[in-house]
Amino acid sequence: MVGVRASKAHRDEGIALVVLMSCSALFVIAIALILGFLAFNGTRLFWGDHYSPLKFLFGTDWDGFGGHYGAATFIAGSLVATGMAIAIGGPLGVAIGVFFSELAPKRVATAFKPAIEVLVGIPSVVYGWLGLTLLVPAIATVFHLPDGDGLLAAGIVLSIMILPTVISLSEDALRVVPNSLREGSAALGATRWETITKVLLPSASSGIAVAVILGVARAIGETLAVQLVLGNAAILPTSLLKPAAALTSEIVMDMGDAPDGSGFKHALFAMAFLLLLISMGLILLIRLALRRRT
Amino acid sequence: MAQAVIAQPAVARLRGSNARSRRIVDRIATAALWGASSLVVLLLLLFIGFEFYRGASSISWQFLTGSPTAGTAGGGIGPLIFNSFYVLILTLAFTVPISVCAGMYLQEYSAGGRFKAIVQFSAESLATVPSIVMGLFGLLVFVSALHWHFTALGGALTLTLLNLPAMMRVTQEALAGVPGTYREASMACGATKWQTVLKVILPSAIGPLTTGVVLVSGRIFGETAALIYTAGASVSYGRSAYDVNPFHTAETLAVGLYQVHREALVPDVDRIANGSALVLLVMVLVFNVVARVVGRALTLRFTGKAR
Repeated sequence: MVGVRASKAHRDEGIALVVLMSCSALFVIAIALILGFLAFNGTRLFWGDHYSPLKFLFGTDWDGFGGHYGAATFIAGSLVATGMAIAIGGPLGVAIGVFFSELAPKRVATAFKPAIEVLVGIPSVVYGWLGLTLLVPAIATVFHLPDGDGLLAAGIVLSIMILPTVISLSEDALRVVPNSLREGSAALGATRWETITKVLLPSASSGIAVAVILGVARAIGETLAVQLVLGNAAILPTSLLKPAAALTSEIVMDMGDAPDGSGFKHALFAMAFLLLLISMGLILLIRLALRRRT
Repeated sequence: MAQAVIAQPAVARLRGSNARSRRIVDRIATAALWGASSLVVLLLLLFIGFEFYRGASSISWQFLTGSPTAGTAGGGIGPLIFNSFYVLILTLAFTVPISVCAGMYLQEYSAGGRFKAIVQFSAESLATVPSIVMGLFGLLVFVSALHWHFTALGGALTLTLLNLPAMMRVTQEALAGVPGTYREASMACGATKWQTVLKVILPSAIGPLTTGVVLVSGRIFGETAALIYTAGASVSYGRSAYDVNPFHTAETLAVGLYQVHREALVPDVDRIANGSALVLLVMVLVFNVVARVVGRALTLRFTGKAR
C-alpha cells in the first residue's frame, strides 16, 4: 500500500513540475510573440510600402489617407509630455517617498498609504475625463485661452498618474539603506534634511533611478488620459499651451479608420513598434542601473 | 568602504555651515515634505468629491440597468457593467492559474539558473508593454489572424497578457512571506515537494494572494486602451444586452466612457460620462476595501494570526 501511494506522489510530483514549468515558459513565449508580431507588422511600412524610415522618424508631414507618414510630431509630443510628467512627478514622487520612509509617523503612514493605492487603481480613462472636465477649463481660465487642452494638461495628468509608481519604488529604495548610515550621519551632527540629501538619497540613487525610469515607461505608454486632454493636432509642439498629439493618442484615434493593408495602418503599427522598442530599452536601462548597484 | 566614501564629503560640508540656518533649512524641508504628501491625499479626496458631486445626479436604477440608446437621451450602462464583470472573470480564469503556477515555480522550485533568469526578464518586459501596444497585438492575433473579430474572449486574453507579470509578482511575494520552517516541517513529515507547496505553503499564503488578486481585478476592471480594438467598442452588433457568448463583442464600462465622449452620438453625453466615471471610481474603492478585508480575514483563518 505504502509503495503504491509513494509512487502516486512521485508521479504527481513529475506532473506538477511539467505544469509549473510550462506556465513559466508561457511568459517567454508571450513576449517573443508580441515582439515578433509587432516587429513584422511594424516594419511593413518600410519593406512593404517602401516608405523611408528616416522620413517616418524625422518627417513632420502626416496625412494618413494621403500617403504621408512623418511621425516626428507624435514622437515629439510623446517625449515632451513624458518629460513634463517626470519634471513634475519625479521630484514630487521622490519627496513623498522620502516622507513615507523617513518622516511619517506610523499612524499618518497607515492613513496616507491607502490613498496612494487608490490613485494606482483609478482607470486611465477616468483620469482623462477628470483632466478634460476639471484641468482643461482651469488652464483655459488661468491663461485666458479659448481652449486649455495641450501638452501642459497632458503633462500634469501624467505626472499625477506616475506618482504612485515613483513614490512606492523610491520609498522601497530608501528603506533598504542600512540604519547605520542614518545613525552615523546623525552622530556627525547632521540635521535630518542633511542626512536625507547628502547620505540617504546618494546611497539610494540607483533604486530611485529605477523608480523614475518606470515612471517614464508608464507615462510614455499612457493612452486615453493623454488622448482626452491633448487636443490631438498633428503639429510640432512649439508651445505647452497648444494642442499636440502623441504616439499613443494617434494610434488609438486612427486605428479604427485606417483601412486594412494600407500604408496608413502600417504606419500606426510602426508607431506601436517604436513604443515597444522604447519600453524594452527602458527595461535594459533599469537592468543597467541595478547592475551598477551590485 | 562605500559608507566612508559617502560620509566624508558630508562631514566637510557640515563643518562649514552655520548651525542655526541649518536647523531652519531642516524645518522648512520637513514642512515641505509634509505639504507635498498631504497635497496628494487632498488631490485624491478632491477627485472623489468632485466625481460624487457631479456624477450622483446621473445615478438611478434606470441608468445602472438600462441599455445604451443610439441618438436619443436617457440611455443606461447596464450591459456595459455586465460586460466589465464578464471580461474580468474571463481574464481572471486565465491569469490566476498561469501566474500562480509560474510564481510557484520561480519561488519554490527553481534554484536560480538560466531558465529562471529568462522567465523573470520576460515578465519584466511584459510588464512594461504599453496597454495600447498590447491591444494592437490582440488585434493582430485574435481579431485578424484567428478571425474572431471583436470578442470578449480576445479582450480577456489580451488583458491576461497585460496582467500576468503583476499577478506573478503578487504570488512570489505571498509565497516568500511563508516562513521556511513550514517547508522544513512538511518535508520532515515525509511530504513531497508538491504536497508541501499545495497543502502547506499555498494555504498559508492565501491571504496576501487574495489581496493581490482583488487589486489586480481592480486594474482589469478599469482597463481601456487594450480593449478598444480587441473586445470592441460596441454593445449592439449581434448580441443581446446581457450576453455570455465569449465570441461576441463586449464593450466594457471603461471603454464605454471613452466611446460615448468620442462618438458623441447622444445628446446627454456628459450625464452618461459623469455617471460612468463615478461608477468606475466607486468600483476602484470597493476593490481596494474588499482586498484589505478579505485578505486579512483569510490570513487569520488559515494561519491563525493577523499579518
